[in-house]
Amino acid sequence: MWRARAHIELACVAVTAAALCLALSGCGVATRAGAQPAARSVRVTERDFRISGPRTLTAGNVRLDVENQGPDQHELLVARVGGSATLPLRSDGLTVDEERIQAAEVGSLEPGAPGARRQLNLRLAPGRYVLFCNMSGHYLGGMHLDLVVR
Amino acid sequence: MHTAPAFRPFAARGRWTIVAILVTLAAVSCGSVVLSIRATARSQHRAGVVVVAARQRTLAERYVKEVLLVRAGEQADPALTASLLDKSAHVLLAGGEAPSVNGDDDETALLPTSGRTVRAQLTQQQRLVRDLAATGSAILAHRPLSGVRLLAGEHVAARDPVERLRVLAALTANVALNAARTIATTSDRNVNQLITLQATVGGVGLLISLLLAWALVATTRRQTAHFRSLVTSSTDLVMVFRGARCRYVSQSVLRMLGRGEGELLGEGFSGLLHPDDRAHLAAMLASGEPAELVLRILNRFNEWRHLDAHVTDLRHDRHVRGIVLNARDVSERVRLEEELTRQAFHDGLTGLANRALFRDRLDQALARSVRSQELMSVLLVDLDGFKQVNDTLGHDSGDQLLQAVARRFDEVVRPADTLARLGGDEFALLLDGAGEAQAESVARRLIESVSKPLELDGRELSVNASVGVVVHLGGHGESDELIRHADIAMYAAKDAGGGAHRIFRASMAQEYGDMLELEHELRDAIERGELTLHYQPEIDLNSRRVVGVEALVRWESPRRGLVSPGEFIPVAEATGLIMPLGEIVLRDACRQTAQWRRDGLAGDSFVTWVNLSGRQLSAGGVSDIVRHALDEAGLPPSFLGLEVTETAIVPEGAAGDRARAELQELHDQGVRIAIDDFGTGFSSLGQLRRFPIDVIKVDRSFVQGIEHDARDAAITANLVTLAHALGLLAIAEGIESGGQLASVRELGCDLAQGFLFARPVPADELGKVLADGDFSSLIDAPAGVG
Repeated sequence: MWRARAHIELACVAVTAAALCLALSGCGVATRAGAQPAARSVRVTERDFRISGPRTLTAGNVRLDVENQGPDQHELLVARVGGSATLPLRSDGLTVDEERIQAAEVGSLEPGAPGARRQLNLRLAPGRYVLFCNMSGHYLGGMHLDLVVR
Repeated sequence: MHTAPAFRPFAARGRWTIVAILVTLAAVSCGSVVLSIRATARSQHRAGVVVVAARQRTLAERYVKEVLLVRAGEQADPALTASLLDKSAHVLLAGGEAPSVNGDDDETALLPTSGRTVRAQLTQQQRLVRDLAATGSAILAHRPLSGVRLLAGEHVAARDPVERLRVLAALTANVALNAARTIATTSDRNVNQLITLQATVGGVGLLISLLLAWALVATTRRQTAHFRSLVTSSTDLVMVFRGARCRYVSQSVLRMLGRGEGELLGEGFSGLLHPDDRAHLAAMLASGEPAELVLRILNRFNEWRHLDAHVTDLRHDRHVRGIVLNARDVSERVRLEEELTRQAFHDGLTGLANRALFRDRLDQALARSVRSQELMSVLLVDLDGFKQVNDTLGHDSGDQLLQAVARRFDEVVRPADTLARLGGDEFALLLDGAGEAQAESVARRLIESVSKPLELDGRELSVNASVGVVVHLGGHGESDELIRHADIAMYAAKDAGGGAHRIFRASMAQEYGDMLELEHELRDAIERGELTLHYQPEIDLNSRRVVGVEALVRWESPRRGLVSPGEFIPVAEATGLIMPLGEIVLRDACRQTAQWRRDGLAGDSFVTWVNLSGRQLSAGGVSDIVRHALDEAGLPPSFLGLEVTETAIVPEGAAGDRARAELQELHDQGVRIAIDDFGTGFSSLGQLRRFPIDVIKVDRSFVQGIEHDARDAAITANLVTLAHALGLLAIAEGIESGGQLASVRELGCDLAQGFLFARPVPADELGKVLADGDFSSLIDAPAGVG
């Protein structure tokens, strides 16, 4: 009889240990990839509904430190533009047609939460560029910045 | 300062553990429920926010369409849509009932939204909604849009009012959905955290509970083991009964009885009980009343063990559900008590009843007889030759003889009769319901039983028994009187020569009663020291000086006055009292003589003469007694003389031979020997040569007639001649007159004693006589004086 009772106790302890392990595994912390170093650092600020940053840069490697200060989420796309100052829109008339400027696009950041700081490494050749947010209505609402690289 | 922890009874342990387990489990459960509720509430809220935020997009697009419709002259109510947009934006931020949009969807209740980021987004959305509505109103009112002040920081480049409106609607929808997305993400994270917390709390709680439960189980096991070992090692006997069946016995019971559980459980226990105790136990088990009882049970060796048991009713105790017997093994105590009782009422030597028990049985029988008028007989038995055995073979042999005799007697009597040893060699037998004929028959068998030779220390001997019988004819009677009558009858039997029985008759009381009484008084007198010695001087007729004394025992009885030795010495001889009496006389005489010697009153030739009884001599051992008395007093043997009668030393056979040998031994050591009352015993003169004799005493009967009876004078003359011829001294006893003195002197007697010189006097008075010492004047006086 005592032997059977001892087995029950052991089983209880084992179950508890398993439960604890499961509980603790939920608290695991994901590792984040290290940022790549860039030659130059340029600060770019996004807010509702404006992008601030340098208007001119010298050609070469550049790292954009992008901070979203606006209450809404924002993305950042960088496209090299030719003579035209405006970008083509999709049929909804509210967003830039990214397929049409795909060849001109030199870099992009997915939508970032308010307060997020992100980097975008670019290799910029001399020319005219535009930095913009392509969330619905944001480009037309004023979120674009012209940049000249010499 | 360290203090000893308070004692915690074993039974109380574990209670707090159980409480702790319950509290832990309750706390964990509560925590889990709270966390679940919060997680559910968050999920519900998130769903509501998502629904309302998604609806903002629809509303914003509807508002644009409605503005266009109104501008095109169609029916629409953009103001309502604007107000729904605004209200929803407010509810998203501050909480409350979100308005129904199409009338068919339910109103959605939202909580105020928390979180800085989300609130900033929703505030922005509210601003955009207002910008949208203001722009729409301006379009419909055909006011220039440049006059509309935008609040949300947008810089719409398009000049076309409708395009502007559409951009603003897109911004509004976008920020609303983003806010919903933020809420969903945050909420997901929170819910995940809650679930994690819940799992952790549950796991930790479970672990704590299990640890506590384990501790509780361990404590319980220890506790159980503790109590089990207490019960198993306890010497207390525990039995549990359910109905009449034994359901449990402790180890101690098994140990005590040397039996296995199988023999005791069930009906086995009752089966081993003493038949008289079974019904008693059954009654106790049936009633369950608290009670004490003594049970007898057979152990494996078929011996009765006595249990002192206490009954406790625990039938209502769900842990026991039975009647519990707590018992102790009191067999030892019972045995001791029985032994003590036996000792108190039994003779230690023979195992027979003792005087007290015999008296008790006799009293009971007499009491019965008063009612039943039944006959009974009392027999007193005395062994005739016992003292001799005791004295010659020693007390050990005497004891063995008594044991052997007791066994023989025991074979003769019926179990219902009471056979007792009253003391010494005296036995008694009570025959209930026996008349004279039966009593006589038993008496004869008793005598016969001991007359057959008994084996004792490798030698065979037989003893005679004298039996006195008294028959009680029924009715009232006194045990003292019965015993006294039996004693008289026994005396009569002894007087008849022993080896016989006598039935008590009234006439015997007179004849032997006085003698018996005298014996009892003499016995007491010896114990109380009422016997004293007087001394009568013996005079050397040549030197005229005192050369010795004869020690004579005197008994001054407080009741009878001065008792003559002629009266009590025969009784002492008949009853054996002569032995202690003779020893006392010897001891006192030796001590006194030694004292005179130290005082210078007794010269080197002084002799103190002590009478030895024939019984003393025939009993044997007299030489030891004499030597012991001399040693004790520090007296040289030559100062002591023993007077023996010729009848005591003449008998043929073993007793006579032993007596002569002992006298010879004493004589060789220097003790003087005299033949007392010589000439009265018809002994052969030739035998005188075989005896170690120094002095012949001429009996007073011859001396008293010496003056006037020629025959007495002739005998005396011959005795003196005979003495001198054998080289012995002659002493004349009982000289009372000067004539007698002159005659004995003339006949050549060497020594004389008698009232003429001095009466027997106490030791201190004799000192004076010894100091004076000279009887010349008396001896030389002419005959006829005195």
